[in-house]
Parts: sequence; structure tokens; C-alpha cells
Amino acid sequence: MWFSKLAHLEVEKVANLLWIHGGACNGNTQSFLNAEEPTVVDLVSDFGINILYHHSLAMEFGDQVRHLFDQILSDEIPLDILVVEGTVIQGPNGTGHYDMLMDRPKKEWIWNFAHKAQYVVAVGDCACWGGIPATKPNPTESIGLQYLKGERGGFLGSDFRSKAGLPVINIPGCPAHPDWVTQILVAVATGRAEDVLLDELQRPQTFFKTFTQTGCTRVQYFEWKEPVEEFGQGTRKGCLFYEQGCRGPMTHSPCNRILWNRQSSKTRAGMPCIGCTEPQFPFFDLAPGTVFKTQKVLGSIPKEVPQGSDPLSYSVHAAMARAVAPKWAKEDMFVP
Amino acid sequence: MTSNKMELKVHSLGRVEGDLDVRVAVEDGVVVDAWTEATMFRGFELILKGKDPQAGLIVTPRICGICGGSHLTKSVYALDTAWSTEVPPNATLIRNLAQAAETIQSIPRWFYALFAIGLTHQNYASSKMYDEVVRRWAPFEGEHYEIGVVVSAKPVEIYAIFGGQWPHSSFMVPGGVVSAPTLSDITRSISILEYYRETWLEKILLGCSVERWLENKTWSDVLEWLDEKPEHRDSDLGLFIRYSMEIGLDKYGAGPGRYLAMGNFFHPQKYRYPTIEGRNAALIARAGVYDGKDYHDFDQARVREDHTNSFYRGGGSFHPFEGVTDPIDPADGKKEGKYTWAKAPRYDLPGVGEIPLEVGPLARQVIAGRPGAEEWQDDDPLFLNIIKEIGPSVMVRVLARLHEAAKYYLRMKEWLNQIDLNEKFYVKPQELPEGRGFGATEAARGSLADWIQIKDGKIENYQVVTPTAWNIGPRDRHGQRGPIETAMIGTPVKNPEDPVELAHIAQSYDSCLVCTVHAYDVKTHKELAKYEVIKI
Repeated sequence: MWFSKLAHLEVEKVANLLWIHGGACNGNTQSFLNAEEPTVVDLVSDFGINILYHHSLAMEFGDQVRHLFDQILSDEIPLDILVVEGTVIQGPNGTGHYDMLMDRPKKEWIWNFAHKAQYVVAVGDCACWGGIPATKPNPTESIGLQYLKGERGGFLGSDFRSKAGLPVINIPGCPAHPDWVTQILVAVATGRAEDVLLDELQRPQTFFKTFTQTGCTRVQYFEWKEPVEEFGQGTRKGCLFYEQGCRGPMTHSPCNRILWNRQSSKTRAGMPCIGCTEPQFPFFDLAPGTVFKTQKVLGSIPKEVPQGSDPLSYSVHAAMARAVAPKWAKEDMFVP
Repeated sequence: MTSNKMELKVHSLGRVEGDLDVRVAVEDGVVVDAWTEATMFRGFELILKGKDPQAGLIVTPRICGICGGSHLTKSVYALDTAWSTEVPPNATLIRNLAQAAETIQSIPRWFYALFAIGLTHQNYASSKMYDEVVRRWAPFEGEHYEIGVVVSAKPVEIYAIFGGQWPHSSFMVPGGVVSAPTLSDITRSISILEYYRETWLEKILLGCSVERWLENKTWSDVLEWLDEKPEHRDSDLGLFIRYSMEIGLDKYGAGPGRYLAMGNFFHPQKYRYPTIEGRNAALIARAGVYDGKDYHDFDQARVREDHTNSFYRGGGSFHPFEGVTDPIDPADGKKEGKYTWAKAPRYDLPGVGEIPLEVGPLARQVIAGRPGAEEWQDDDPLFLNIIKEIGPSVMVRVLARLHEAAKYYLRMKEWLNQIDLNEKFYVKPQELPEGRGFGATEAARGSLADWIQIKDGKIENYQVVTPTAWNIGPRDRHGQRGPIETAMIGTPVKNPEDPVELAHIAQSYDSCLVCTVHAYDVKTHKELAKYEVIKI
């Protein structure tokens, strides 16, 4: 592809990257491996990213890894980009013994590397906010790098800045989309770190300004307030917001702008968005009655409405829209 | 005779979530004992307690990002059996397709990105095939490494067509699936599947048609296949077999030689009303136990988890419905002789008692060799023959994994053709406030199962037993080693400071853990000298 050849000319130096995992499922690594333009291999060959170590992809194991870690911590090898996948596990009782690496708490390694790196990137909900492992009762005492759920601070503290002066760059999602990860890594590696504008939750605005709903093929049903009445064949029309608890209108992500696996998105396929790029995921702590069910007031009005609206105004708007909805809004559209 | 005994502890031998340390005792260059130590506690079962009954559909796929679709599958069947749902045939076909898509994606990704890179190790540089192995399989630079990693992203496009995205969509729900695909969804899936076959499966891996490879029923058939055409011996599979036999991967890593498969993929009509009791008869890829000599039916009631050597309070062995998950500080646990976060799954074999069993592709293929398959069931004697002829090993375990790419491709093709776009994909279930359910499947790396108890409309108990627990679990209270512990024994270690042979074994099991190895001299308990990182 022409632009990768051009970009290659702009690379002035190799960017050393270390990818370390905490309390993780490897889902972000698997998502990362699905990347295209650039692929993971392109990152290495065309964009000058030298993967010093990745816990899944490296050839090295055992003492080879320890030696590499020692070289980084003694500044013998410079660390440009630290990527953290997974929570920082602090349990039990703050000791970190629930997650050990080389006979040392993983959290200590993460702390040390974060303070050596030019840039620190949290990939996935777990590293950003604590994610599912930090769901009550949070048995592992899991925490994100700079947040615990919506509360700023996290493991590194509110004031943490990397060597290059940035806070942790948060790329949330469960998992993060491969493009969100590779494009940010390319930006940093090609000297465009200053162009990575972060929102108030330290997410790159270029991906997290719009809502999941933006670009959803069901948005016309949202407009006319036509619900999906049941899963399966029932998803051939309708919007999942009204009955199935879809969080698309409230969630920041480009899932319907930059499709998943080059094919689709959850909402297009008929699965409700569960809000996985937001710090509160999983919402309502998965309390009984909350999974795939819209939370309502007065039995019919959604308790949560699109950002910037209030429930009362929204319900008036909804009643009007439903009353004037065109006939096709009640017909199947995604037909065999 | 003077002993050259030493003890090794190796970190980072697995490659996925959490870490696996392996401690081995080496005498005269051969492993004589081993302990597998999972070093991360995750506590998902504690998170699920008290939650919405359907919370497992969201939480358990996040136990493993490689096999999140398999977790979703067993989680939804646990709910289907707890709630006595009806699952329309179309939904079963889509669940089968999605899980198979995940598994055939995992095969090239695991082989090139996780396993074969180890075969470029300098220990093997004297092999006449070494240069070709490096050219094809070196990390990030190998020609087939790149093809394999890129092509692995294709099958999960099919998963995304039906479920919206991979990894992590919770599109399988009790009573079916959320989606109702259209004609172009089916035809695009067919096209993607054919791309996988043409681009990698037949062209790179097999060097022949899928049908030709599947004609092989014995080890001697495989050897004849190898010599039949240059395309066969020069394929990645052909090169792997020849190279493995030259560098000795067929000589170690045997494991316990006893196998469990819980089975996967349901016949669409025969599991329309899922029950725990009716499960085995409805399976396409069969469940069963092979004890090294005879076959036995699988019964979930006989599964046990022994946490005596695990970092949980107390000890003993329990059925997952009575599972105990009460974590302690590992620093305290070690004083009691406990050494890992993994429990020790065991199977209570009638007349024998609790025994460790290996799970995974080799186990599945050995079970596929059991006589008496129904017409809709997988009947394949190849790997039973292979383990009888040359015994299990690292090579045979990897071969079984690669074999499944061909088999699963054909199944997916068949299932895509069976979907009836005008029939239902979902039947809304009654969400009962009480119930007990069991759901199981075969993830890429082995048997994966959930047991759920629902009380007062919420989860009362949830236990997950993963293939990694089966394979890397510790000794039980009887002192029986876990499968990987057993597989390590007898392994020659050429260089104790760089024991790549142990890495091959752990990676042939594809443990869900990033492994680490330490080398210790037993006499002085001093750590052996560190060494430079070697870049190929």
C-alpha cells in the first residue's frame, strides 16, 4: 500500500515497545492480531516499531525475559512505548501476590516500566478502568492504570505523566478494536503523538467523540421509536434501545464507523451495545434484571436517554415520533 | 555414580492470560520431576455470584480472549439447560459455525505466532531443514508467519457476520441467537471460508486437498501421504512432520496418555430441547473418556476439582456444583505446601477413582476413534492409531491440532448450507427464577464447562472448569501429577539455562498462561547464570 511506503520514509528511529499484561484475558492481543492497514507484521516492518517483548508473541521466555527487563530498568535499552493489557492486580490486601511474574508482584513491574516509558498506553477496559475483574466484589483488588471505573487516580495516580509528558493514553473497549490500537501506535511511532488529542477520560478523541449509534443501520428505527420486539427473527427490524438495553446512544465508540472484522458491529447484528468503552462497564454491576433489558421508569420510559436529553423531554419527543412514523418503520427491512 | 541433578524453574512458558511457572528437577540432563504453578488469581466465579442469571454470557467470555466464543457457547447451554429452553435448529447451526470459526482462526494463529517460532531456536541450527524453517516461521519475518497471522483474521469475519464482532460478542442467548442473517450474510460467509481454504489450508498447510488429507486413517497412511508428492512433503505440515522427527519432538512430551473430551457441535434437531442428560447423544464431535486402554462414556456428575495444592482455603475434592472458591494469600499457601492458583480437575472413573486426564485436540481426536459412532457423528480412527503406533508426543499433539483445520472447514461448509433463512433463530425462553444447568464444549485447547445454579432469580453458584485447569493443574491430594507435569518428565534438556524443550511442551498444550522457567542447581539452590537474549 502506497502510504506505508511513504510513512516508512518518515520513520527516523526505531520505537521500542514493551507489551505487558496484568489481569487480562488476552482479548486485546487477539483483537490486535486482527489488524489490517497496518497488520501487526506491517507495524514491525514498515513503521519502525521494535517489539522488545510481548507476553504472547515473543520468542523469549524465562531468564531471557528477566534479562531484557533488567536492561530496560537500567536504561541500557530505552523504552519508548509501554502497552499494558489487563488490570493491575493489587490483592490480597495490597500485596499484589495474586499476580506474580518472575517471583515479583506484576504491579511492581508495571510501576517500574511506566516510570521508564516515553508513552504509556492502556489497551482495553481492564487496563483503562479495571473492567470486568474490578466488578463488585472485585476479588482481586483490580484497578486500571489511571482510573478505577470512572474515578481518576488508578494505580499510577492522577498526576502521573510519562517521560514525554502525557498521562496514560486510554484505548478502552472489551476488547479494543484493532484499528484503535494500531493507529495510535503508528501515530506515536511516526512522531504524531502531539496530534493524539485526548478527551476528558484520556481517550483519543478521533475514535471516541462519536457514539456507537453513529452509523448504526438501525438508527432509522431509533428515529421513529420502533422497538425490536424479540431477538432472532425479531431483529429484522427495529431498534434495540427500547427493550433490549442497548447502550448505543450513550456510549462513545466508532463501532459503526469503523466496523469490526471488516464486516459488522454488535448492533448491526442484533446484539445490544453493552457500553464496553465506558468506565462503568459492565453496567449496573450486572445486577439481576439488568442484562439485555432496558431499565425503565413508569414501566415504559427508558431510565437513561441519549446524552444531553432528559427523560421527560425525550418521552414527549418519542411519543410524537412514534405517532407519525412512516409505515415502513413497522416492516422488516433486513430480510432474507 | 555421581548425580548431576539440578532443579529448574521456568517462567513464561505459556502465552496467554496469567502466567505459568514450571519448576522441574533435572538429573543427568533429563527431567525427573515437575510442578506447574499458575501465578495469577482471577476470581471470575466470585464476581458472578449474586448477579443476573445471564451475566455469565458477558463475563465468562472474558476469561479467555482466544476462546471467548467457546466460553459463550458453554455459558449459553448452561442457561438453556437451567431454563429448559427450546433452541431452533438454525440457532444451533449458527452457534456451531461461530465456535468452529473461532477454532479454525486459532489454528494458524497459534501455530505461527505462538508455537512454531520456537522451532527456529538455535539449538536446531544443525538441521538441514533449519534454514527453510527460519525462512517460513521466524517471528514477524517468516514468510508463512505473516501469511498465517493475516489469514487467521479471516474466519472470525464469519463470526462477526453472525455476532457483530470477534473477540467478545454475547450474541448467543438462551433460546437461540440474537441475529437473523440474510442471504448475503450466508454467501459472504461461504466466500470467506473458501478464501481460508484456498489461501492457507490447502495451499500452505496441506499441499493437497482437504479431502485427500482426510483420507489418511493410520500413521502409515500419513507417511505414505508424505512421500506421495513433493507438494505434500514441502507443505508446512510436511515440513513440520519431517523436522519434528529429526529434532526429536516425537520423542518427548507424552503426558498421561489418558484423555477426556466433553464434545462439541450439536446436531440441530437432536438438541432442540437441551438437557444435561440428553447431551452426549446429540453431539457431532463426541464426548468420552479414554483410559489408555478402554473407552468410557462421559458423565458430568463424575467431574471433580481437587484444591488441596491450590491457593484456596482447605483441601479436598468436590463436584463443581459444590465448588469452593475461597482464595488465600499464596505466601501463606506455600507454607502449607500449596503451589498454584489452578485447581486439579479430576474424573472419577468407575472402578478406578479420581484420575487426571489430558484435554485438547489430541484428546478429541482420540475420542473420535471410538467405535460405535452414529451416522451424524465424527468417526476418525487416525489419532488412536497414531498414539498406538508411535505414542503421544509434542509432535502428535501439534499434528492433531493442525488436522482439525481440515475437519472443521468441511463441517462449516455443511452447516452454512443447512441454514434455512425463513425459519426461526430464537424462541423466547421463560426466565425461571430457579434452576441448575450444565453447559460444555471443546475450545481450541480443550474441554470447557460451566455449572450454574440459579436461586431467587440470581446466580447462586457458578463454576467454570477450563482446559488449562485440566492440563496445567497441580498434583491432587493423592499425589497424582497433572498432565503437563507428567508430560515434562523424561524430557531431555540440552541447555538448562535455555530449556526450550520445556517451552515446546507447554506450547503444544497451548496453555492459557504465559509460562516462565527458572533454572536452579539443586545442591546449592543458587540460580544458574543469566544469559543474553538471543535474537534470531
